[in-house]
Amino acid sequence: MKSRRIALASLVLLGSASALAAGRPRYGGELRVAHAGPPEIGEPALADTPLEATLLGLLSRPVCAVTPEGEARPTLARELSRPTPQSARVMLPNAATAGALARAWMRLSSTEGASPYRALLYPLRGEGRQVNASGASLELALSFPWPDLERALCHPALAAPVASSTPGPFSSAGRGTLDAQLGWPRGRPYLDRLLLTSTDERGLARLWSTRQAQLELGVASETDNASGALLYATYLAFSPRRVPADFRQAVESSIDREDLTRLFVRGPAVPMPHLLPPALMQQGPKPRPATPASGPARTVTLVYDAALEDQRAVAERIQVKLHERGYTVALEPLTRSALRARWAKGDFELMLHALLLPPVPGPALAVVLDAGGRKDLLGVELPAIGALSDAAARDARVRERALALAASLPLLPLYAQGLGLRVVPEVGGLVMDAQGLPMLDGAFMLPPEGAGTGGRP
Amino acid sequence: MSRARVLAPLLFAFAASAASQTSPDETASAVQRLARELSASVRALPAEAPVALYFSGGSAELRRAVGSVLAARLSAEGLAPTVVDAASAEAAEGVARAQGARTLVRLTLDVEAGALRARGDALGTWVNFWSGRAPTRPARPSGALVESVDADAEVLALASVAPSTTSPPTSGPRGIRLLGATLVRLEQPVAALAAGDLDGDGRDEIAVLTEADVSVFAADGRLLARRELGALPFGNATTREPFGALAVLSGPPRLAAWSTRRAHGEVLVLEKGRSTLRPVGTLDSAPLGPVERGSFVPGQTAFQAEVRLADGKPVTLSAPFTTASLAPPRMLFVHADGTGSLYPRAGAAPTRLSALGAGSALGDLDGDGTPELLTTSTLLQPSPDVLRVHSLNGGDPTVHEPLWQGALPAGRALFVVTANLDGDERREVVVGLWKPDGTGELFLLRQGAP
Repeated sequence: MKSRRIALASLVLLGSASALAAGRPRYGGELRVAHAGPPEIGEPALADTPLEATLLGLLSRPVCAVTPEGEARPTLARELSRPTPQSARVMLPNAATAGALARAWMRLSSTEGASPYRALLYPLRGEGRQVNASGASLELALSFPWPDLERALCHPALAAPVASSTPGPFSSAGRGTLDAQLGWPRGRPYLDRLLLTSTDERGLARLWSTRQAQLELGVASETDNASGALLYATYLAFSPRRVPADFRQAVESSIDREDLTRLFVRGPAVPMPHLLPPALMQQGPKPRPATPASGPARTVTLVYDAALEDQRAVAERIQVKLHERGYTVALEPLTRSALRARWAKGDFELMLHALLLPPVPGPALAVVLDAGGRKDLLGVELPAIGALSDAAARDARVRERALALAASLPLLPLYAQGLGLRVVPEVGGLVMDAQGLPMLDGAFMLPPEGAGTGGRP
Repeated sequence: MSRARVLAPLLFAFAASAASQTSPDETASAVQRLARELSASVRALPAEAPVALYFSGGSAELRRAVGSVLAARLSAEGLAPTVVDAASAEAAEGVARAQGARTLVRLTLDVEAGALRARGDALGTWVNFWSGRAPTRPARPSGALVESVDADAEVLALASVAPSTTSPPTSGPRGIRLLGATLVRLEQPVAALAAGDLDGDGRDEIAVLTEADVSVFAADGRLLARRELGALPFGNATTREPFGALAVLSGPPRLAAWSTRRAHGEVLVLEKGRSTLRPVGTLDSAPLGPVERGSFVPGQTAFQAEVRLADGKPVTLSAPFTTASLAPPRMLFVHADGTGSLYPRAGAAPTRLSALGAGSALGDLDGDGTPELLTTSTLLQPSPDVLRVHSLNGGDPTVHEPLWQGALPAGRALFVVTANLDGDERREVVVGLWKPDGTGELFLLRQGAP
């Protein structure tokens, strides 16, 4: 227990110190990383759990990252610029990367790859359906003022698919081994190598207790573990045409969000009574409505992500609670891609829909509106928000609109989660980005106590 | 040449820049700011006119400067100030009384940890007739005065003027007592730092490389020229942190600059009249000194172990290094593990040093003709970072007590150079700091009055 506390202290201390641009860490070394995620990561728009986004980020990153100060800092991109207020330029390392990125972004709006993260590109002319690479750069024309475009482009779902032509901080060397990538535009990671082990929760506990893992990702919330911003938001989406008009009231009156986060969802997690997570908007009290008058018995099907144990537990809880309101809920686990396909077609009655929201209220609201099937609202809400040049005023406006629009969206916010991790004290420089994901390329091995560092590697 | 004469142009430049200031709150010199604070405190006592001012501590020039500026402020307040001279603070009371002052302000000045401080008291000098010969004090005015402002280069120039009683130079090492002040604040952290005479006036300018640009500053912190690096192609193996190489080349004064963010470096000429750095060539090797060259370890904040020396001969060090400092014939290289290789001359066997920080340099601070070793903390997260000055007396100087050491402002001191900013034989020290807020700072240290 003591060593865990030290580990957390080290994480926090070094995290802040690194953000302060203090000493220079040492290059080299291997880090043994264990995680409770899948051994292989799919396309970025589907790798949107905090853990999968972290694993994907080892091999492929979006064009930028949002700093703790809320600014977009280039990562994959060499430069982000605004030649004019209504156009943005993303300068990438090479033309192949630019082309791959343009294709990946356009796929978000395609029939076969439709994703609610396409809303991040909605302010682009043509809603991001047509993105053209010009050599190594992407020229992005806006259809209305949208100062948050750059920060929206930093979302992990907008990373390019893993490929040799698109550099990431690390590159795969086979069998769970990732080597530091010398050509990573932000500079090679300090560590030479990551050794990844995919396991389950029991496996994590065993590897930690036997000191076979130096860093564990996806550990359940404990007081001495660390986590970043809780931006992985889960909603109960419903099809208004297929459920009674008082369905929202039935759910709100029966579901206790505190219960969900305390008993059914792996932490770190917080209840989310409003449309955006507590990290993006203050959560005022939301009284539970009265139980609706009982109607005829209804049978509905709730689809959920088969890969997420949390969703299965929550789906079962909803099944029980709605039974008290006269609903017979059939549960149907689906793969994430199948789930997204059903969402795109509107082919569901109830769906547990989880989204990794960007750490900026405006783009986050855009994703939620699209996920709620109200893409029509994007063209109304976003221009009014983007017209405000002051970031604080924009964010305040977004929060107002989130409150005002909540009742008109067929989405019931449930809870928000983050990524829990633990790390041994010998690892320094591990910080969470504004998205709440750990940046392993900034981690380094601390020299033994008493050894000089020269302040540099 | 006396030190005061050497510094006269520098002081004139400070005075000129002070005269052109338009926004006192933002651009006032440290002396002006301190005088403003003191004036407000004296007025708030409230002081009774006439007010006598007595100063101790610091150099005579610093005392006179603060005295003059404070007296001017108090005069504008109608407090009829006079500056008194006395052998001690206690004696000043009698002198003030004899001159008819009703209030005496006694202040001790010092420059410490980058701040100009004044500490002291204020007292009434009026003696009740019924007290007879006993010099009783009135109930008021009275109060303690403590004010501190960030020091600047002007303060350092004033504080470093040696008193006229200084003994002539001797052959032995002279004492080192460095006073520091912020010279320049930078929007970005420092990637490399160098000093050299780029305009041929016999005094050094300070060159700073960041990820975005290379800048040249005068001894008083004025920006002389800046060149953006955006036009250079990106490098294929950049570093996570700002890093690079910067050196003033021999021959016609030129600046060689190479950031690891870029594929190659540039040779630049300072055109002072046009406030520009004009590129005159490209670099394909990392400049370590006037003619010495090295190469970066790809992707790392370090140089390869192979170095080409002034005579064109290569030398291979024991390991890659992060810092090089050349004070001919001596050469210092600091390695990643905090050890160093000190060469007494090219071709000689190096002395192995330990406990060196990334900010290490050789420079003659006491004017005895032999450079001292300057180094920062070896720790990754020092708080605060410390600058130590060691004598080079054979062997590993870091195992002996330093000649001087002092805390630096908040931040990580990764770069240290010495410079001849005022034309005398004692070199000044410029420290490049990474500030906690992600910006950079140049901190200037120069010899203070004993």
